[in-house]
Amino acid sequence: MLHNNHKIALLLLIFLLLPLLSGCWDSKEIDKRANILAIGIDEAKTKEQKHEDEIAHFKNKLPISNEKMIKLTAQIAVPGRIPLGPEQGGGGPTNPVLVIPVVGHTIDDALVNLQQEVSNPLFLGHLRIIVLNEKVARKGTQQINDFLRRNPQIRRTANLVVSKEHASSYMKVNPKLERIPSLYLADMIDNLSGLGKFPPSFIGLFWTHLSSKGQDAYLPYLSIKGKDNIQLNGLALFKGERMAGKTSPLEIGDFMSVIGIYKGGYGAFSMVPGTDTVVMIGTKTRRSRIKVYLKKGKPHVLIRVRYECEIDEKQSQKVYIANSGMVKKIEKEFSGSVEESIKSFIKKTQSKESDIFGFGEYFRAKLPKYWKGRVRTKENWEKIFKNDLTFNVKVDTHLNRVGMKAK
Amino acid sequence: MLRFYNMKKKKNSRKKNHQDTKSKVLEQQMDTDTSDSLEDRVNSIKEVLGSNDDLILKNFKIFGQFQAVMIYFSNLVNQNIINNDILKPLMYVPEHLIGRDKPLSMLNEIIINETLYHSEARVGGDFDQLIEILLRGETVIFIDGIKEAIHIGTRDVEKRAINQPETEQVILGPREGFIENIATNIALLRYRLPTADLQVKMMKIGRLTKSTVAICSIKGIVNETVVKEVEKRLSEIDIDAVMDVGYLEQFIEDNPFSPFPQTQSTERPDKTVANLVEGRVAVFVDGSPFALLVPVVFNQFYQTTEDYSSRFLMGSFVRIARILALVFSLIFPSLYVSFISFNPELLPTDFAVAVAGGRAGVPYPAVIEVLIIEVSMEVLREATVRLPKQVGGALSIVGVLVIGQAAVAAGLASPITVVVIAITTIGSFATPAYSAAFALRMLRFPIMILAGIFGLYGVMVGIIFIFNHMLSLKSFGVPYMAPVSPGNSEGIKDVIIRAPLWWMPKRPNFLHANNRQRLVQNENTILKKNKIGND
Amino acid sequence: MEDTKEVSTLQATSILISTIIGVGVLPLPLFAVQSGDTGAPIVTLSGIVLAAIGLFILTFLGVRHPQNTIVTYNENIIGKWIGKLCSFIVIIFFFILTGLAAREFGEVVVAAVLRETPLEVTVIVMLTLACLSARNNINTFTYIHNFYVPVILAPGLIIVALSLKNGNILYLQPLLGSNLQDMFTGMLTISALFQGSFVMTMIIPYMKEPKKAMKASFWGIFVSGGLYLLIVIATVSVFGPEEIKQILWPTLELARTTAVPGNILQRLDVIFLAVWVTAVFTTIFSSYYFTINSIKEVFSLKDHKMLSYFILPIVFILAMIPQNLIQMYEIIQFIGKIGLIITIFYPGLLLLIDIWLSWRRKKSVTQQS
Repeated sequence: MLHNNHKIALLLLIFLLLPLLSGCWDSKEIDKRANILAIGIDEAKTKEQKHEDEIAHFKNKLPISNEKMIKLTAQIAVPGRIPLGPEQGGGGPTNPVLVIPVVGHTIDDALVNLQQEVSNPLFLGHLRIIVLNEKVARKGTQQINDFLRRNPQIRRTANLVVSKEHASSYMKVNPKLERIPSLYLADMIDNLSGLGKFPPSFIGLFWTHLSSKGQDAYLPYLSIKGKDNIQLNGLALFKGERMAGKTSPLEIGDFMSVIGIYKGGYGAFSMVPGTDTVVMIGTKTRRSRIKVYLKKGKPHVLIRVRYECEIDEKQSQKVYIANSGMVKKIEKEFSGSVEESIKSFIKKTQSKESDIFGFGEYFRAKLPKYWKGRVRTKENWEKIFKNDLTFNVKVDTHLNRVGMKAK
Repeated sequence: MLRFYNMKKKKNSRKKNHQDTKSKVLEQQMDTDTSDSLEDRVNSIKEVLGSNDDLILKNFKIFGQFQAVMIYFSNLVNQNIINNDILKPLMYVPEHLIGRDKPLSMLNEIIINETLYHSEARVGGDFDQLIEILLRGETVIFIDGIKEAIHIGTRDVEKRAINQPETEQVILGPREGFIENIATNIALLRYRLPTADLQVKMMKIGRLTKSTVAICSIKGIVNETVVKEVEKRLSEIDIDAVMDVGYLEQFIEDNPFSPFPQTQSTERPDKTVANLVEGRVAVFVDGSPFALLVPVVFNQFYQTTEDYSSRFLMGSFVRIARILALVFSLIFPSLYVSFISFNPELLPTDFAVAVAGGRAGVPYPAVIEVLIIEVSMEVLREATVRLPKQVGGALSIVGVLVIGQAAVAAGLASPITVVVIAITTIGSFATPAYSAAFALRMLRFPIMILAGIFGLYGVMVGIIFIFNHMLSLKSFGVPYMAPVSPGNSEGIKDVIIRAPLWWMPKRPNFLHANNRQRLVQNENTILKKNKIGND
Repeated sequence: MEDTKEVSTLQATSILISTIIGVGVLPLPLFAVQSGDTGAPIVTLSGIVLAAIGLFILTFLGVRHPQNTIVTYNENIIGKWIGKLCSFIVIIFFFILTGLAAREFGEVVVAAVLRETPLEVTVIVMLTLACLSARNNINTFTYIHNFYVPVILAPGLIIVALSLKNGNILYLQPLLGSNLQDMFTGMLTISALFQGSFVMTMIIPYMKEPKKAMKASFWGIFVSGGLYLLIVIATVSVFGPEEIKQILWPTLELARTTAVPGNILQRLDVIFLAVWVTAVFTTIFSSYYFTINSIKEVFSLKDHKMLSYFILPIVFILAMIPQNLIQMYEIIQFIGKIGLIITIFYPGLLLLIDIWLSWRRKKSVTQQS
């Protein structure tokens, strides 16, 4: 009896496990995948639009007009070309990546077209950076986001940046510091926040900001300097899902002060009061406190910023910084100039209707009655941010150190 | 339960055979038991054992007047004892006996009590017992006219010297290991445990080998039901030959189809004693240099005696390293396969690109590649065990270095695969218990195949399956994964780390020991005392 | 092999924890935010409280009948045939629950990791695992749960701890996010995630000290509920309610956003999913075992080992009924609400009748004397 039971059980199990024999559905070796490391997205020129063949859809049968067509440039790692371990001498300079441009109506459409040209399955798990051309960003990022959100291979920590030049040219630059160009680019963006040059920015955070009702998104804005160098050129401001403008690099520092990013990385010249000499003041750390309230029914924000600074450089040898009174004066001078700069920066964002600071979130969280009664949606908040919001900035600077030099 | 039932069935059928196979020559001679004629008995002995040329039958006269025959196997006895302690006093009448009346009826007593210089002299035994006694190396003396024979323990078989245990080396700790001779082994045990509570029960197993089996435990600590169960399971064994303690293991373990060992065999007396003191039972077989310890739990297999003899921090650190090695040897190749073939996004991009570069020429999927290298590694390992020591070193160098290098150069394997397999193989050597290491080595393959089908999900399913199996195992009523699950606060101090000895005042409760007190003082008083001493 | 009474209070607690924490962890923040907005933690908390009340009623009933499980002692309370009918409904409900849990698991795996592997295969592998393990006796059942509890709690706690530094406290304010009606439905949905705790009724008869069952229930729901609450708080504070509404499995997304210090592994989500398999296994294992055990008791069968195999195809077919992921979640939410009647209302009713019966009995005894 017991014996029979076992046999039945075994048979049952074998039948259940039979489908496994045809297994290995998902198995795809790492070297048999086309690892896309970076993607650049541009507007497709009219000439390029004609390149599209009938792959994902038939021509002229798509509700999306050709004007919105994009050109996608992908950087794919070529397995054999990247040697293991430290680089050994000899061998011709081979390009370790393959750069392929394709056109499509959407990002997925373009990728389907790309797959048609590449033998190995495309793999987006190592997609570290997505470069959006400014023009595309200004037209809207919604359709790009939708694909990226849906695809489980995409990392939420990938970087999304806006470029001044064509995104395709970023795929082609060949920085000398790293073997794989897109890795250099990705590491550069990652390091920016470590250096205090840029607030944390990755695609997941961008999406969170896009969804938040009381906040607008921001992205790094890059441009190419010289032939192979890439520069952080400012901050791309978004209004909703569209890019609304950009800032100068120094204004990034102002922005980081307002939202209170601890690690400071920008320096600014400040006049030494009573002389014509300037000193370079480097911010080490910053803290900020934002308070919101209603002033006569209108939203009002109070921003307090506290800097811990250090004197990095002094222009003239004639002026000495030898007493604490002098230091106080410099602190005050610096605070004043920063206050001005922050104020003008906020005004600038107001004019673009882009609340990248997330003041709206403070109102939603702290003053829910006001929010529910008057604001409710993101669009409303952007209007109020532009027209009604008033603010006040107070900067407090502490010069703690002057470096190793006595005077 | 099912297995047990089967086993019993088989045993019963074997018992019937038993009667048939019992030495046929012996049966014919059974009737000589009653005879007291010297000649009859010598003839019967000759009938049974006469085909052996090393059987010595020596005629002599006791005290110059009684005709007697001394029988022994020349290869099994110590000739010196026979000559000096037996023959000499028997043939040459001792001083205190001169002139005394020596009637035939009292002769046996006189010989044993007043004549022989040997403590192991006994009287009696029926015919087939005497045959067995002879075969074990004792000397039998038949005296004409006396029915009972005298037999004297003169066995002297060459034995190996006690040396370092080969399979369980330690850096700190005792150096001696068991040998094949059971008497020596029990002596080693008694030497470490001079207590009246040490109980050694003997039995004989094996129709032909008639091996002595000893069941050792400490009264008052061990759970008597476990001892009873061990005895019961051992007594049910009916096999022709027992060569090693491993034969017994296969009969008494709870689940013979499990890859995991449910008894622990050890060569080390100190380890055996430590386990006895924790409340376990040790089983010895004559002819095997291993003791079998039951009941066991899994964590025993990665513990060594060194953990306890070295200091707490060092012991714990080494043990954690060993657990890591254990995990490596089980899942490292399968993790590698699932990372390479299923989830390359988990690797850092630079590394992933480099790995892809290393694999670029390899024609097989990662599973096949890893399986090929793993299997050849197993072959190599087995070959190294069989090889004479002088050649072994050379071959392993050829095998590992040359073949590995060539396989990479030929594009058969990627360099990372070779690294992974090397780490795995080394990891599997770090597990002190050979049988447990073997289980994990074996289970590595199904997990690898699962990883090849489902990636990480497959690895997880494999691991869960293995753990569930381990959790359902029992060794003599003790859950295999104790003290982790079912949890036990006293036992858990000795699982991942090895807590300081004064931290573990009680014996683990999963063995259901009678007396659980290990330390007399509790930890607080010890700490306090030490502190005062330091001040 | 007799099933002896040796389940300790701690073991009972760990059975509850590992049973409750399961597939539901992934969509939990979405459920909470959909109905509670920024008030998601409060919705979650109220759901936990409701589930706790249900569990306490069940435990209280169990302590009053320490020899039997609900499928047998209900016959003493409401009569043999009605009792059998009710037990039958409970068994069917757990059939469906097991099937749906396996299906939800399969959907997540297919959507996030094994995209090409057929859904049927992932589901069947999981069910086979549960089926084989369910052949063991109740003690091994306990050991298995006890063993996996740390494995189940750890990934959730680690991800919560690592992600809290990215959290934004503004996203958790105001505390009351939406209207009461929405929050009430949310409470029901979340409390349905705790239905696995019904296995408590099966454990009480095997406990060493059934009197301490209440303590086990409390700690079980406290730890699992605490973890759920932490996950909701962490997810909402990192993503904000609006973003969560766009994510199907916010907890998984949280794991995707979190980076390990030192960049050993680039992505935590796959690892999280891999470890989460354990949590799903214990949940399915529990409900599978409960189903088998209940059938065994209702029909007073001797052995449940064969039953384990026979049930497998039925559960598998149930798992395959939903047509797609969206329909599956509709069914899950619907079944969950029906389940509340079975797991909370029904024991409550039994308890009332039981107390009334014993009160009447006492009264008649005093009248006689």
